[in-house]
Amino acid sequence: MAIDKSNQTSSYSSMDMVTRLAARRPVGPPPKRGLPWGKYFHYFFCSLSYIFLLSPMIVVIGASLHGGEYYTAIKFPPDEPSLQWYWKIPKGQLEALGLSFGLAGLTALGACIIGIPAALGIVRGKIPGKTLISAVFRAPLQIPAIVTGIAFLQLYYLFGDATGLYFQGTFLGLYIGHLFVATPYVVGTVTAILQRFDTRLEEASFSLGASKLSTFRRVTLPVIMPGVYAGALYAFMVSFGDVPISIFLTAPGFVTYPIELFYGMENDFDPSILASASLVIFFCLLVLLGMQKLVGLDTLLRSGSR
Amino acid sequence: MSKSKNVRRTFLRSTVAAVSMFVAGSAVAGDFDGVTLKVATWGGSWKANIEKVIMPKFEAMGGSIEFVTGSPQANLAKLIAGRGRAPFDVMEVLDAQEQDFFATNEFLQKIDLSKVTNTENLEDWQYSDWRVASWHTQESICYNRDKFAELGIDAPTTYADLVNEKLAGRISIPDITSGGGLANFAAISHAAGGDEVNVKPGLELITKLNALKFWSRGGEVVTQLQSGDVYAAVVHSGWCVRARNAGVNVATVHPVINDQHTGVHKYGWLVIMKSSENAAAASWFINEYNEPEFQLEYARNSGVVPVNHKAIEELKSDPVLAEMLQLESEDINKQLRIDYSKANISDWTDQWNRTVSQQ
Repeated sequence: MAIDKSNQTSSYSSMDMVTRLAARRPVGPPPKRGLPWGKYFHYFFCSLSYIFLLSPMIVVIGASLHGGEYYTAIKFPPDEPSLQWYWKIPKGQLEALGLSFGLAGLTALGACIIGIPAALGIVRGKIPGKTLISAVFRAPLQIPAIVTGIAFLQLYYLFGDATGLYFQGTFLGLYIGHLFVATPYVVGTVTAILQRFDTRLEEASFSLGASKLSTFRRVTLPVIMPGVYAGALYAFMVSFGDVPISIFLTAPGFVTYPIELFYGMENDFDPSILASASLVIFFCLLVLLGMQKLVGLDTLLRSGSR
Repeated sequence: MSKSKNVRRTFLRSTVAAVSMFVAGSAVAGDFDGVTLKVATWGGSWKANIEKVIMPKFEAMGGSIEFVTGSPQANLAKLIAGRGRAPFDVMEVLDAQEQDFFATNEFLQKIDLSKVTNTENLEDWQYSDWRVASWHTQESICYNRDKFAELGIDAPTTYADLVNEKLAGRISIPDITSGGGLANFAAISHAAGGDEVNVKPGLELITKLNALKFWSRGGEVVTQLQSGDVYAAVVHSGWCVRARNAGVNVATVHPVINDQHTGVHKYGWLVIMKSSENAAAASWFINEYNEPEFQLEYARNSGVVPVNHKAIEELKSDPVLAEMLQLESEDINKQLRIDYSKANISDWTDQWNRTVSQQ
């Protein structure tokens, strides 16, 4: 019975509480809550932004699936979807694509080899004129790329006349030009990380007996790695997509992918261009997914934005 | 004469002929052993035509061809940046580059015309020691017949016919920086009463045209005609041929310029660079470029008109090209040829930017 009583009491208490809460409510029908217009607007605006950003890619990939005859203009949506144009990508385009990937990879690597020590020197070095040195490393970003291309071509001729070593029309000449514009990105992103680096981590490492090299390898490098990845990714993209410098520095036998497309499109329209461009889009998506897995894109964006 | 003697003589003759052919063939086959000819030309299908027709012949003679793809304007920029030293042996040049290349010939070396035997099928003015014509385009008005019929407008015969309220915002004309920009600008100026020196009347007419778009690549025109955004375009007939092949009901009109001229053309030339060490191979290339076989290949693919008379004759059997291009010598000779030696192209561009680009 006791149990029953307690249950009863408890039940009454709950009822009391419900009654009391109900009494607090205003009398009458529940108030009309307005539609969440802000939320709708947010969704609408975000959808528009996504459509704006993705539609060129959707059109390119969609039009590359056109299965009809050769046509002289982009056909979207495609007729009779097929992969025929993927099999008809000219050898020249594939060679150019391979060259651009190789060149961009080497450029990213070279930019890291130059950029990391440069950033360390700028942030940590006790050298006079650090601001000037920092400005010099940023200078390639201030010069219009077309001017850089012409300047390099003329420099190579002058250097060749003086030494007999001509870099124009060589892979090395093209590589140096790309390295020139790509290195500032690594310097920038690594500098950004180093400036908020907690030096006590390195001091702890030294106090535990680690050498300078070991400390750099085991403490400093892992901390600045997101900046290195971000800088390398930017360097890769700058090199891969470059047109103005490559126009002057490419030569027979090695034409970069953007130049091949640019001049291919100028004279005529070939649907296989859409197919190879779609392959590049897929590759970029794979790289981004890989980077997300490796370090997280938010980390890259943070280090890149500093 | 006995039968056996005849047989012996025939055998001897055949043997001599076979050996002669073999020797001659060997000499030709080895002519360009180890030579790499660098050709500055457009990319895409243009380069593909050379790879298909000319390259195998050169390779059979022991050489190889490499390409520097780019527009003549871009290749000129490389030449200037390199102070005349070109990373190519032979180059495609436009007639609008007259003053850059042919005023002083400082970038060029003479062509050995004895090796360019196809000049016998060209007009006299189409070749000299410094250049050989390679193709021409016929700049025209390409219009959509269905749209014009819907609007009740007659086919245009002049540029001025495009000044029509019903066509406002439906016209596409070349930007001055595009391949055909200078030729068409000059032609419109002539048609409006001006000339190469006085382009102001042309600018006034272009302003009245109320164009939707100033195209920079011919491919844009095909897309615009196909999408229905544009009803008429000032463009070379080759693009109109391509629009027709893409299924648009278009026709070309070679506009009346004045009493003497109907239509306007733009010429392409081949030149050999001063810094080239492969002049013999370059001359061979120029001759091959003017072979009817190659000229027909690009003409059928792109609607660009050959210069070789034999190729033009053969082209008349193609119904679409015969309809859209002017292939009779009499008609071709009536087309306006722009005199770029009189033109101040920087001034043209300035005036264009001040007037047309401000629209």
